[in-house]
Amino acid sequence: MNYILHILIMISVYLILSQSLNILVGYTGLLSVCHAAFYGIGAYTSALLMTKLGLNFFLALPLGVILAMTLSLLVAYPSLRLRGDYFVLAGLGFQIIVFSILYNWEGLTRGPYGIPGIPKPGLLGLEFNNLPLFLLISSIFAIVILFILYRISVSPFGRVLKAIRENEMAALALGKNVSNFKIKAFIIASGIAAIAGSLYAGYVTYIDPTSFTLDESIFIMAIILVGGTGNVKGPIVGTIFMVILPEILRFLGIPDTIAPNVRQMIYGGLLILLMFIRPQGIIGEYKFE
Amino acid sequence: MILQLLANGLVAGCVYSLVALGFGLIYNTTKIFHIAYGVVYIIAAYLFYTFARVLGLPLVMSFFLGLVFVILLGVAIEILIYFPFYQKRASLGVILVASLGAYILLVNLVAMLYGNETKILSLGIEETFCLGSVVFTRIQLLQVVTFLIVFPLVLLFLGRTKLGRVIRALADNPSLVTVLGIDVRRLRIYIFAMGSFLAGLASCLVALDVGIDPYAGMNVFLIAAVAVIIGGVGMFEGAVLGAFILAIGQNLIIWQVSAKWQSTMVFLLLILFLLFRPEGILGKRQRLEEA
Repeated sequence: MNYILHILIMISVYLILSQSLNILVGYTGLLSVCHAAFYGIGAYTSALLMTKLGLNFFLALPLGVILAMTLSLLVAYPSLRLRGDYFVLAGLGFQIIVFSILYNWEGLTRGPYGIPGIPKPGLLGLEFNNLPLFLLISSIFAIVILFILYRISVSPFGRVLKAIRENEMAALALGKNVSNFKIKAFIIASGIAAIAGSLYAGYVTYIDPTSFTLDESIFIMAIILVGGTGNVKGPIVGTIFMVILPEILRFLGIPDTIAPNVRQMIYGGLLILLMFIRPQGIIGEYKFE
Repeated sequence: MILQLLANGLVAGCVYSLVALGFGLIYNTTKIFHIAYGVVYIIAAYLFYTFARVLGLPLVMSFFLGLVFVILLGVAIEILIYFPFYQKRASLGVILVASLGAYILLVNLVAMLYGNETKILSLGIEETFCLGSVVFTRIQLLQVVTFLIVFPLVLLFLGRTKLGRVIRALADNPSLVTVLGIDVRRLRIYIFAMGSFLAGLASCLVALDVGIDPYAGMNVFLIAAVAVIIGGVGMFEGAVLGAFILAIGQNLIIWQVSAKWQSTMVFLLLILFLLFRPEGILGKRQRLEEA
């Protein structure tokens, strides 16, 4: 039972991550490969605030979000002028810089040793210290975020993002401030990723930089490319599939030593195949370009 | 100390240059952001390792066998993955993701077959040479000599031979090359063969020195890509310039700060270039719409 609860909690964390990345990749058409950086910034900020200053989880979380949103400007501004490969490379760069700060700034982050003993979230004397209660808050977060993102996707704002994705010059010609919209998309996406980070830190109670690597960014991107980009359903399918895949492999009796490799080989192969036959993912609407 | 670090930077620059030349050759002509280049790089060293240490063949023979097979691998990636996308007129973004998929697939295959730990190829302690206060190992010398032979050959090939000129033409204007009745399919195979050969050469030389692990490829790919961009996209020599800047920069970082911040330095440099001189050092300015 605990095992199933754990998987459900992880699904809700990854739902938040994939849905927020979808704003950039699926709606705006920006292939951002630094989502794990914002996820990590959220996790580390709230973990540090909770362990060092003893802040409450529900106070630390918004502070992490604010920091991630602020730092997202560092990627957003340079990225405005870049497209295609250059944009991808700038994202890779930011991801690697954030990772090396988490890993090397030992005075603050304790580097590779990570931060242990992060308290579980608590509110008004009620502590979310067992799995069912934690699942309750993580799924509340996931559902509320999903709802908000759905509203964004059908709002005039979301439609402008899609217009930018389809034809940036046309959006510009219609008098839309494309740069402004891209920056807003970045801020929203990274803020939400930071929420996922805080939840993750509060759930596992120990974080280290290896959870926020380039591989993690690629994994989040793979979730939405497999599931589908440009709508809310796609990332849901992708998240469930990608989070459950390792468990399926376990039931198939693949030895634990090679299971992580087999899992990654499957999603590497899936990416090639999907790009060839279905660039919009399993149930996406945007034919990724 | 500073002299030694500069010398190390120059040696590293030679190796980076080989990788960046190969990546630039592919990137400038086909426009493919060949992330799988990183895995081609590591597989070369693993083939070398397999022939030399597992099958027990002589070192020199294994070296060349490894290169032959890695050329086949590079060409296979082109034929099986990139060319079908090219025929479908898929966008470059789609090809980029497919390339990433190929990278993930092959890296994990290697990790599964050989394990995650570093494999060592070298034979005990290396002979060293002194040049004033600067010390070189024999392998470092080999790296420098290889670069000094290969780089002029590549330049001669691109500048003087017919095939080389066609390759440059493809970099300048791909549609005109097709109009001239040149078989682009075969041309791309040659390009991938050469690019993979250069990656393999660098990889085997590095493996002799420090060994090889399955995840080294991403870093090498990133250095090659950054070198090509700061050197100037479209300019084959630019890659070498970029590679030396990065290598020397990394060693100066060791001197001034700490080795820990090497990759941060590479990307800060990249972001500065993207902001202030996106066309690179040697590149020509382009309008946004043409890019």
